[in-house]
This record gives sequence, structure tokens and C-alpha cells, in this order.
Amino acid sequence: MGKELLTATAGETLLLLGNEAIVRGALEGGVRFVTCYPGTPSSEVPDTFFRLSQGAPYYFEYSVNEKVALEVAGGATLAGLACLVTMKHVGVNVAADPLMTLAYVSAPGGLVLLSADDPGCHSSQNEQDNRIYARLGGLPCFEPATAQECKDMARDALLLSRELETPVMLRTTTRVNHVRGPVTAAELPSDVAEKPFVKNPAKYVPLPASARPMHQRLLGVLEKARAVAETSPHNVERGQGEIGFVSSGVARNYLSDVLAEDGLEGTVRVLELGMTYPLPEERIAAFLAKCRTVVVVEELEPVLENDLRALAQKRGIEVAIVGKGEHLPRNGEYATANVRAAVDAVLGRPAPAADTLAVPGDLPRRPPNLCAGCPHRAAYYAVREVFGDEAVYSSDIGCYTLGFLPPFRAADFLLCMGSSISTGAGFARASGKPVVAFIGDSTFFHSGITGLIDAVAYDHDILVVILDNRTTAMTGHQPNPGVDTTIFGENPNPVDLMALIRACGIEPVKVNPLNHKATVAALQAFAGQRGPRVLVAEYPCPIHARRVGQAKKTLPARVAGDPESCLAVRDNLACPAFAMEAGVFTINAEQCDGCMYCVQLSAAIKPGKKEAR
Amino acid sequence: MNRARIFLTGVGGQGTLTATTLLARTALDAGLPVTSGEIHGMAQRGGVVESTLLVGGYKSARISAGEADVLLGFELLETLRALPMLRRGGFIVSNAEAVQPVGVCLGRECYPPLEAVLDTARGFAAGIVMVPAISLAEQAGTAKAANIVLLGAAAASGALPFDVAALVRSVEKYLKPKIVPLNLKALELGAQAAATGQAA
Repeated sequence: MGKELLTATAGETLLLLGNEAIVRGALEGGVRFVTCYPGTPSSEVPDTFFRLSQGAPYYFEYSVNEKVALEVAGGATLAGLACLVTMKHVGVNVAADPLMTLAYVSAPGGLVLLSADDPGCHSSQNEQDNRIYARLGGLPCFEPATAQECKDMARDALLLSRELETPVMLRTTTRVNHVRGPVTAAELPSDVAEKPFVKNPAKYVPLPASARPMHQRLLGVLEKARAVAETSPHNVERGQGEIGFVSSGVARNYLSDVLAEDGLEGTVRVLELGMTYPLPEERIAAFLAKCRTVVVVEELEPVLENDLRALAQKRGIEVAIVGKGEHLPRNGEYATANVRAAVDAVLGRPAPAADTLAVPGDLPRRPPNLCAGCPHRAAYYAVREVFGDEAVYSSDIGCYTLGFLPPFRAADFLLCMGSSISTGAGFARASGKPVVAFIGDSTFFHSGITGLIDAVAYDHDILVVILDNRTTAMTGHQPNPGVDTTIFGENPNPVDLMALIRACGIEPVKVNPLNHKATVAALQAFAGQRGPRVLVAEYPCPIHARRVGQAKKTLPARVAGDPESCLAVRDNLACPAFAMEAGVFTINAEQCDGCMYCVQLSAAIKPGKKEAR
Repeated sequence: MNRARIFLTGVGGQGTLTATTLLARTALDAGLPVTSGEIHGMAQRGGVVESTLLVGGYKSARISAGEADVLLGFELLETLRALPMLRRGGFIVSNAEAVQPVGVCLGRECYPPLEAVLDTARGFAAGIVMVPAISLAEQAGTAKAANIVLLGAAAASGALPFDVAALVRSVEKYLKPKIVPLNLKALELGAQAAATGQAA
């Protein structure tokens, strides 16, 4: 998606990814300040803002982590600017500390927090339901289900936030972030009124004495938001009868398709909630009162379900409420299949017999893999060679988590972003075993550095390998504080990773992981030492290097000697460019990145000739 | 057909998502309501890439097992893996050629034969079209156009809610001018192959 997001006029229809639609919606809401930490499924939102940032009417940054992102925007909204802060669901955990007080302090310029949840764990370590954060922190919450709604609700969330001067959550899920559909644009504001900051410490500094009235004020704000929800166009009722369905988020789509396809539309009552917190209690109570049975269709936690049960009890409404159970689980994603099962059960309809093809369960797998030429593969190879199965490997979050797979098996445990050093340190202290912690450059800046400071302060016995590929590769090659180059050229203010580690009190050793001999030598020296140690394995991600025009032109490797003698390299390096052709080991010249690592491991592998490519 | 759930599957780097978006634009230009879904993230490191295209007024962009009217497989093994998505009487258009997964490359696993797809789906699918998409794309100028070859085959065999001419207009309208002639050739080769690639 090019500049259309910045230029489309009212009424124009664009085919947009849900995340692109959020960008357009925020622009229609007058956003002037955008911060983030990237993470699937949220990343296309900040990446689009970044790509369009030259000459755009907003400030943009990839913050060092989610906490910093929310705090930086927290300052900007106090200064009067309309802000958008984006992150994936687990990122909100990192930002939870400022988030829990932000609504007390207020957001005079407006602030929308995009929480991109991941039911089904498509690319995450858990499937937590961040609608609970909205309730915990006192944030009104919107839950879009289509690309058009992503646009409309991003805009309306920001406008409501500015009006009530309170932060608002836009809560999406993977299927919504990555839906693609037509979006009709509305007008972009030509001018956004300034809201200059007026000093008022009693209003903005939550000392105990001021925090108590601030909480009181917030509860009042939430009642105003509740009044908005009562009449919000994002909450829609339809149909008739004694059986009702209340639904939110992407589950609304599954319900609609089932009712339409099975000819039930109009025969049951449906309440779709797009603005889901604060609960429009009057509206829901009126809906419940019209029904004998109400089914709550929402993914993950029984958030609405419990709210409805409490509301029915409080108002003395006699209605059977059906929620989490046999057909509607508390884990994983929903789909038409399980929503149909719930609909059939409550309507007493026979469940249709399954009629699907079966395929063998032992088909060759196609797991995601480290790319050909990936410097992480080389680093893992060398660490395995020196430490083998003896050491325990503490892993972290990034492409390098794929070192989990054989042949490297270089991930024995993992908690969250930045945990490898601290968790590894604790394991080493408790077990006395040698521990190697792997962490990427972006993750180290994100929250690994605090673990390193702890390791120095308490002399934890851990070897930290910083896999510095000069970018944030896993989420789409976003810049981080240490990078040299972005798509807009040289980074004017790079943070010096080596100096940072030195300042913590450790003399790090830097190697090029694609230099096998030097890397093994450095690791062997470290193996004989104790205490906190840091190896920086620095080599740019080849995909990133190509994108910023810094890739070196190299020839592919080829098998020049006896292929049989290369089989150990094949099995222990497992490069995607390796192949067996008619039972003979070979290197696929198309796939080979020319990193020349395997050339260092076997005398039978040589750099290819020019005509080979 | 003006209402269809289309399930697309392939391997990272094959242009599955580009093809999906091109189909979505074609449907929109034909005045058909459309919603499409894709999963990003881990899939981009050589893994399986699945996407969906729902034409004709569906709200959900997700397809459950047994719901797909059309299965577009950009890679043979992934077509086989995705067969449970197909509904009885649905249509399969697949690349007959392989992108070998690492376990097969290294001789640890066996790549299933073309017959595995045919034998499983015959009698259940209303039609199966197999085309050598990679070879035909190379004939058009680059293996990268295999995705467009498959779209040409799908449209020509009547699996899509629009014809080859609509795809031709989309290629001309939405792809970079430099690569339009090559992709038009790919469409044409795919469409021709569909006529001879009817396998069931």
C-alpha cells in the first residue's frame, strides 16, 4: 500500500490489510504521534507509518521496548498530541506498569493503545486475552472484526480518547490484523486543534494524596464512556425471538456467516458488540430481558460472559446464559465450525456429519527454518561444536528461536522477550551447570540489558551470545537503537552495543560468526572462564543487507570433492541450500547465499565458479 | 458461481499472498464483495503460507475444514496437506511440481507422488486440475511467475468467479509495468495448460 493512505479522499474505496486500515483510521482521527515496538500480528501498523513518515503530519519511532513506547507517547499526549501506540499482546505486559497509571494521569491529547492479540499462538508464546487489561487499567475498549471496522474504530477510538482525555484500547486479533478487505475512506482532518499543557501537578502526579482523587475521576470518565457505548453505532442489535446471541471481535463474523448460511438470520436475536468496555449495561439488560436463552460468542476468556452473568444477577433478569463449554472453548481460535456446533446445540438442531478428506499424518513437514546464509546458523554450529549437549541453552525471542529445531537444539527454555540472560543466570546459579544464553541485538536493547546488569552485579556464571544481525529480523527488519542503516539511509544516532556492554563491567569479544575458526576459538576461551561473559556475534541479516543495498556479491558454494565426505556437514549445518539429488549430496546454487561457511567445514566444498550462477 | 470460499496454500517465497491480493482486486473490480485473510510471521522463514479469499458476501475471512469451494495449491505437497479443507464437490487447481522441504532435500523424508493427491481427492472433488506451474513459469521467463500460471489455470478451468480476461486486466492494472508482459504470458500458459491438465 503506497501513499493512498495519506491521500485518499472521502468516499474512495481502498483494498486494505486490517493493519493498514488502522493506519488510515488513526490518520482520520488526527493522529500526530506514533510509537511502537514491532511484533506480529501488529507490525504492519508501525511499518506502514514508518514507510510513509517522510513529510507526513506525524512523529514516528520504533521505541526500544513497549514500556518506553507507551511512556514516550504518554508524554506526547500530555503535551496535547493525539497518539497511537502499537504492540502485540505480550508487549502490553512490558508496558503494563505505565499502562495501569496512565488512565489516572489522563491523556489530554488522546491516546489509543493497539493491543494485537494472538489467539491460536500463530506467532506468540501465549494467547492471553488483553481485554482484561482494558478493564484492569480503566481503558474503554473497541474490538473491530473487519478491515472497514479497523479503520472506523481506530478513528473513533482516537476521537473518543481526545474527547474524554482518557486512553482507549483498540483490541485486535491476528485474523483481524491480517484480514484484507475493501475500506471506504472518510475525510482526513485538515487541522487538529492544539491542546497546550497547563501545569497542574495535582492532576498529573499520582502521589498517594493525588492518586486517590485521580482514581475517583477515572471512574467518572468511565461512566461517560459507558454512556457513549449505550448509543455507539458499533454496537448493533438485530433479529427476533427468544434465543439470543451476544458476540464480540472476530467471533461476530463466524456467527454471522453461520446464521446466514443456515438460513437462521432473522429467526434469532443478535447483539454484536464493537465497543465492548465499558459495557452498555442498559442496552444489554434490555436484550437479555427479551430472551429465554443467550449464547455468548467470544474468543478466549469468558469476559463478556461473566459480565452478562453479573448483570443478569444484579438486575434480576431470568435468562439462561450459555458460554464457555463443550462447543465454545476458552483456548484457541474460533471458526464457523465450532460456532455452528454451539448454534445447533442451543437450537436443538442435528449437528451435520463431518465430510472431509483425510490425509496421512506423516507427510513431510515444512517447519520454518533459518535462511540460507543466516549468520545465526553459523553461530549455533560453533556453539554446538564447543559446548555440545553438556551446556544448557537459554533462548530468547527472534529468528534465532528457530535454533530450537534440530540439528542445533539450542533452546532448552524460554520465558519472554529479554529473559534469556536473567533466566539463564538463575538456572546456572541453581544447577551449577554451564549455561549459554542467546539473545538478538534488538531483544538485548529491548530488555536483555537489565539481565546483564544483574549478571554483573551478582557474578552469575553465564556466557551470553548476542546474535547481532544489525536489525530486528523476525518481525520484518525494523530498525533498533543499534542499527547502522534503515530504508531511509544511515542511522544518525546508533547506540554502541560494545560500549554499552563495557559500561556494564564486561569486556565483550566480538566475532564474525561466519568466520568458523575465530568463533570457535573465542568460545573455547570463554568455556574455560567463569562469571558473566559476552560474545557478540555480529554479521548483518542477509535479507536486510539486500533490502538496504549492502549485500556483498558472492558466488555460491559447490561440492567439488567427494560428496560422501560432506554428509556430516549436511547433517550438522542443515542449510536449506543443501540437497540430495539422486542420492548424492549437492548444493543448490539458486538457494545458496554464498556465505562460504560450509566451505570452511569441508575440504570437498569450494566456492563456485562464476558461470555456476 | 458468485459466492465462493477459496483456500490458497503454498510455500514462503512462492508469491501466494501476491496472488491472493491480485484475486481480491479482481473480485472487487468485478463488483463482488470480498474478504481475504493471510497469516504472517513464522511462515515467512520457508514455512507453509496459507491464505483465503471469500467472494460473494462472507463476513469471515477464515475457512474451516470441509468448507473450501476451491483449493488453490501453489505446491504439490501443500495441496495434499490442505485437502481436508475442501468441501465435497469442491474444485482443486494445483501446481503438479514440488518445492522440496528440508527433510526431503536431506533424504530423511519421502516426497509424496502426484497420485497421492489424485487418489485421495478423486470422487470427492468435482474437478482436479494439475499444471506444471514452475516449468511453465520458467517458459514465460522466470520461475517466480508460477503463482500467476496457477491463477491462469484456475480461471480457465472455471474454478474462480471470474474469467481469464478479468485476470489479464488485473495484471495490466496492478503489477509493475516492467513485469506485465511476462505475467501475461504466464497467465496464458496457465490457461492453456488447464485444458490439458484435467486430471479428474
